Amino acid sequence: MYWSKGISHVLLCNVTQRVSFWFVVTDPSKNHTLPAVEIQSAIRMNRNRINNAFFLNDQTLEFLKIPSTLAPPTDPSVPIWIIIFSVIFCIVIVAVLLLILSGIRQRRRKSKGASEVDGTEDKCENMITIENGIPCDPLDTKGGHINDAFMTEDERLTPL
Amino acid sequence: MEKARPLWANPLQFVFACISYAVGLGNVWRFPYLCQMYGGGSFLVPYIIMLIVEGMPLLYLELAVGQRMRQGSIGAWRTISPYLGGVGLASMVVSFFLSTYYNIINAWAFWYLFHSFQDPLPWSVCPLNDNHTGYDQECEKASSTQYFWYRKTLNISPSIQDSGRVQWEPALCLILAWLVVYLCILRGTESTGKLEQLANPKAWINAATQIFFSLGLGFGSLIAFASYNEPSNNCQKHAIIVSLINSSTSVFASIVTFSIYGFKATFNYESCLNKVILLLTNSFDLEDGFLTASNLEQVKSYLESTFPGKYSEVLPQMKNCSLQSELATAVQGTGLSFIVYTEAIKNMEVSQLWSALYFFMLLMLGIGSMLGNTAAILTPLTDNKVISSHLPKEAISGLVCFVNCVIGLVFTMEAGNYWFDIFNEYAATLSLLLIVLVETIAVCYVYGLRRFESDLKAMTGRALNWYWKAMWAGVSPLLIISLFVFYLSDYILTGTLQYQAWDASQGQLVTKDYPPYALAIIGLLVASSIMCIPLVALGTFIMRCLKRGDTPPVA
Repeated sequence: MYWSKGISHVLLCNVTQRVSFWFVVTDPSKNHTLPAVEIQSAIRMNRNRINNAFFLNDQTLEFLKIPSTLAPPTDPSVPIWIIIFSVIFCIVIVAVLLLILSGIRQRRRKSKGASEVDGTEDKCENMITIENGIPCDPLDTKGGHINDAFMTEDERLTPL
Repeated sequence: MEKARPLWANPLQFVFACISYAVGLGNVWRFPYLCQMYGGGSFLVPYIIMLIVEGMPLLYLELAVGQRMRQGSIGAWRTISPYLGGVGLASMVVSFFLSTYYNIINAWAFWYLFHSFQDPLPWSVCPLNDNHTGYDQECEKASSTQYFWYRKTLNISPSIQDSGRVQWEPALCLILAWLVVYLCILRGTESTGKLEQLANPKAWINAATQIFFSLGLGFGSLIAFASYNEPSNNCQKHAIIVSLINSSTSVFASIVTFSIYGFKATFNYESCLNKVILLLTNSFDLEDGFLTASNLEQVKSYLESTFPGKYSEVLPQMKNCSLQSELATAVQGTGLSFIVYTEAIKNMEVSQLWSALYFFMLLMLGIGSMLGNTAAILTPLTDNKVISSHLPKEAISGLVCFVNCVIGLVFTMEAGNYWFDIFNEYAATLSLLLIVLVETIAVCYVYGLRRFESDLKAMTGRALNWYWKAMWAGVSPLLIISLFVFYLSDYILTGTLQYQAWDASQGQLVTKDYPPYALAIIGLLVASSIMCIPLVALGTFIMRCLKRGDTPPVA
């Protein structure tokens, strides 16, 4: 509408701190106002468009007695955590099986009487002799690098 | 014929294993709490004194015993005196209890880790209620992080009596946690080495207790680790290194934790203020932006005088926001890790990255400590000739992990967190004090301090410092006795024991009494480990009498 009269012709009443108003929707064909319930459900369904018309949002434009419906968080069909869990689970199971199998294979090789020393990772559990109740460490533990029959470096010089 | 004992590849591996065992979740969530409760920085004084007087000597003692006897806890103590095999057994029982309930923490850490890869983080938003008009009631009353912890993770029941069913999601995570532990211990020792108000007597007692449990004394884990050492290893140096690193980790963790406390307190205070502002703005139809944090008090008194009727209606819903009270809420344990820290993380940039990193760190700490615990259980079992001749090492480890996992499913039930708190509080505390006391007395007075000293000298080539001797023989046992007496009197004086239960309708914790059967289980937990010592001593004595009854004693 075009106000030709000017601002002095705008009359205010029931001034509140916030901008608020009542409104009714009339049906031009039948001469009556539409029931409130219909209007409420219509507003609820088109809330987004009405907000945008005023450049407002749910927090700044409030319709009394019409609670705003919140957007539900997006729920993927398979929860993400299950995917990650399954991946880690499979990796761990595979690693466990590998270790068990390699352990069994090692034991089978040892029982066949193989004398070669395996990789330095695993300690060889050879039988050792006991003299006077003191076990003598075998010479070929740790891949034959250290000869236990000789003193270690720290004790080369007898302490005073 | 004897099998050679497996050894650590180098001393560094041993040190790392000990550090990884000692530095655990207690450094992150118990020590900062104690600092806050007992005067902040001044708590460091009793803590450091107890570290020097109690922690280091006892740590050195356990490592020395393990290295000298070269056996797990049962064998080591039986070698010291045949009547003392019960000490090792008691250690094993306590370790068993610990491993049962400790791994559920790793399960929770896995749960949170897997949920860190979502945008937004699931604990930063509340879910909607049924008709999508607002947020879930429980979540509104509490906070989104608390809701995610109590409802989504634990699905906690209102009290310990309502057990509920086993929740499959944490159960799956528990199974995964045990698989990871099994994977690490499968290869044996070599694989566990990885590259932890001054006048107030309570402050001193808590400092002593914290040092004690933080270093993991009395579980048999340290003996187990040390038994795989070369006899000439310098365990004195390692004892000092491990205890110093453990303590500095605690202090470092406190610095981080205090900044998180401050952040959380400020954040909660500001959101509390905003809620009050929103409430007043809506009730009195005020202009948006009229009420701010600075003029809140003035406006409140103005509204109270101008509209007394309406103000008194609104008053019950208004919370009194105070930064001091937010700062004063100290949290320890799972509450700190899974509620306070997640709340701080959700407000950071790139929160998914920080969340994943944080829970990965928790997992590393937790699994490192778990490996020490399982070593304490497995080493005596694998040392035992009967068991190890029938079953291979992998099968024994698998069996132990399986049994612990099945028992641990109790903690995945709806009331599981209450049982977890019971185990956490009572399974290890009193028993460990007694075990370490008996250990110290056994080494000093039953085996003989001089004999042990000459053993160590022959083994490592270094004479024992007078300081260690004084501590082992006198100061540490006295300290432990006084701690023990204090705890007993504390339990007796406070009467019935209480616990914190989550009330979903109010959205906060409430205090409730334990039912009688829970009290009975607590008593059983403490007694079952302590009784091992006298029972085994008695059994050995009887067997010896019977054997001596056949042959006359040699004069």
